[in-house]
Amino acid sequence: MTAGDLVLRAEHVCVEYAGPRPIRAVRDVTVELRRGEVLGIAGESGCGKSTLAYALTRMLRPPAELTRGSITYFPDGGTPVDLMTLDSESLRGYRWNKVSMVFQSAMNALNPVTSLGRQFDDIFEAHRPAMDRAARHRRARELLEMVGIDPARIRGFAHELSGGMRQRVMIAMALALQPEVVIMDEPTTALDVVVQREILDEIERLREELGFSVIFITHDLSLLLEISDRLAVMYAGEIIEYAPSERVGSAPAHPYTLGLLRSFPDIRGARRELRGVPGTPPDLREHFAGCPFGPRCSYAFGPCRSVPPVLRPVAARRGGAEADRWTVACHLHDPDARPDGPPAELGGAAPGTATPVTADDAIGAESGGGER
Amino acid sequence: MSVLEVRDLTVEYRQRGGARFRAVDGLSFALQEGQTLALVGESGSGKSTVVRAIGQLVKPTAGEILLDGQPAARHGAALRAYRHRVQMIFQDPFASLNPMHTVAHHLRRPLQLRQRHLRGAALDTATADLLRSVNLTPPDEIAAKHPHELSGGQRQRVAIARALATDPDVLLADEPVSMLDVSIRLEILNLLDRLKADRNLALLYVTHDLATARHFSSEIVVMYRGEIVERGPSDEVILHPSHPYTQILSRAAPDPTASRAVLAAARAKRQSARAARAAEEREADLGTGCRFRTRCPFATDICTRHPEDMDVSPGHQARCWLYAIANGSGPLLPLASPDE
Repeated sequence: MTAGDLVLRAEHVCVEYAGPRPIRAVRDVTVELRRGEVLGIAGESGCGKSTLAYALTRMLRPPAELTRGSITYFPDGGTPVDLMTLDSESLRGYRWNKVSMVFQSAMNALNPVTSLGRQFDDIFEAHRPAMDRAARHRRARELLEMVGIDPARIRGFAHELSGGMRQRVMIAMALALQPEVVIMDEPTTALDVVVQREILDEIERLREELGFSVIFITHDLSLLLEISDRLAVMYAGEIIEYAPSERVGSAPAHPYTLGLLRSFPDIRGARRELRGVPGTPPDLREHFAGCPFGPRCSYAFGPCRSVPPVLRPVAARRGGAEADRWTVACHLHDPDARPDGPPAELGGAAPGTATPVTADDAIGAESGGGER
Repeated sequence: MSVLEVRDLTVEYRQRGGARFRAVDGLSFALQEGQTLALVGESGSGKSTVVRAIGQLVKPTAGEILLDGQPAARHGAALRAYRHRVQMIFQDPFASLNPMHTVAHHLRRPLQLRQRHLRGAALDTATADLLRSVNLTPPDEIAAKHPHELSGGQRQRVAIARALATDPDVLLADEPVSMLDVSIRLEILNLLDRLKADRNLALLYVTHDLATARHFSSEIVVMYRGEIVERGPSDEVILHPSHPYTQILSRAAPDPTASRAVLAAARAKRQSARAARAAEEREADLGTGCRFRTRCPFATDICTRHPEDMDVSPGHQARCWLYAIANGSGPLLPLASPDE
């Protein structure tokens, strides 16, 4: 296995929920997942993050439909597979085998009336018909042990387990066929902090051991900054910032990312005014004339009302190898629309800092720079 | 001044087969006018049972609830009067509003409970005022809507407005924002904070989130398996957590500012500690002694005896033998900084 290779790529994916006025839930999204990487997808309820996850596994059901775009899976050492061309039989070989999923509500995802062992059996019967009963049983016990659950629980039922244990079982099931990618949709949201921490540790340990890649979806940005390598922030069906997690926490480029970051208090830091992101997300049935975040954005200016921003590399002055892999969809970062660059808190040149002076900076200095 | 006081509150639930489960065990605290008390703990620690007992939705097995120094009424008109003054906000705004009724309906009924002769235009004005006080505008438009037409944040605002309709003195907020998106949690908490100040409310904020507990309360009470294991001024409890459980809680919160190396080291430490404890946890009988001892990194033989509240610093107590030294009963344990 080579680290850093692409394992999954979605290009220009659009998903609509059909209706008299279709809901455009995912709008022209391009994401890449590399081997061994944790990609975080953050956003509010209804921003399209779960719909995107379902699209990646081709699990969308009507009325949802993938209307445009392509999804490519790159097997380790094999030829790339275009998932859009697979028939349902070949898709079965892909789902769970190559890409599996952990859902938010373990309570609802486990079958309440059959034993855990029976549910493991189902997986193996469907995907590994060659395994005999003893082998299935052995493997199921092994998997439970791997996620820290007493293998004797195999005869047990979902209701006998705590929320954290159920989520562990879900993870064990997702890993049952040794997939290369695990998509986790809010796997810890319903759990309290201590249990959440245990699950996250468990995922990290298993990832080190087994080497799978993860797409981790949540609205909790503080969590994602900690566990992900790269971060995609979604808003109204679009990715509005795509950045290295380790750096975006201290220097977000998009006003929405900044708003999310200011939405949770720092547990040990100084008390500060906390604002959140006032307002509500737009109606996804609408066609946006300008920036979808514009109406909630305190930095909105001229072009935000009329021109939809596109993802562009965050100004080169940020430097570093990530410069080309850090993109943002915001007019503040468009040198043509805003020659003096973004305000300091969004990664612009703060007054008095020793950033290399570029042509843009020089123009900015003349026109006064700084915040609106 | 304390408005509502809870003394030695114990709540037991009957289990199948006649056994009893003690969800809350001898809890005492007081809610002060214009102040927020945060009640913190994990799922199953008994937080919601405390709220339900104060709201008179479950009957305490033992102990007292005092409103203005008077024992809370249990029946009839006096109970209704108590409920007017002690209102609740629940976790799930999707479940706590009736999907069949408009927002106006949800607010008019409690308004009329308090002011029986409120009718017509005066009632509409009172409804609109309530909606405005929770920043739901324009009030006329919102009042006509049904819950499904509102976002989660808006629904929780309606639930808050409903709680305010009887002009209460005490507000019990049971995880009021944990079902909401991170981006709108703060608006709701800021709103509660403002209402508390404007109306001089005594607010009980129940949560498992230490960061918001610190920011929105003056005092924090930490619960573990039905008892209070630590209490004190908010900053004191969060910045200098004393009980090993509070320390674990505070370390479990995500820390977006920590570097990768620090995170990896912390993770390795947690994992080895967990493995070591897993075995004894299965066997331990928690009938006596400290209830946290099976998960506690500092547990020793003494912990099979139940600890008392020990003073850590002025106004700050922890129910843990580690701090027994401060009570003069001899150095039970070297008071090595439990932070590390």
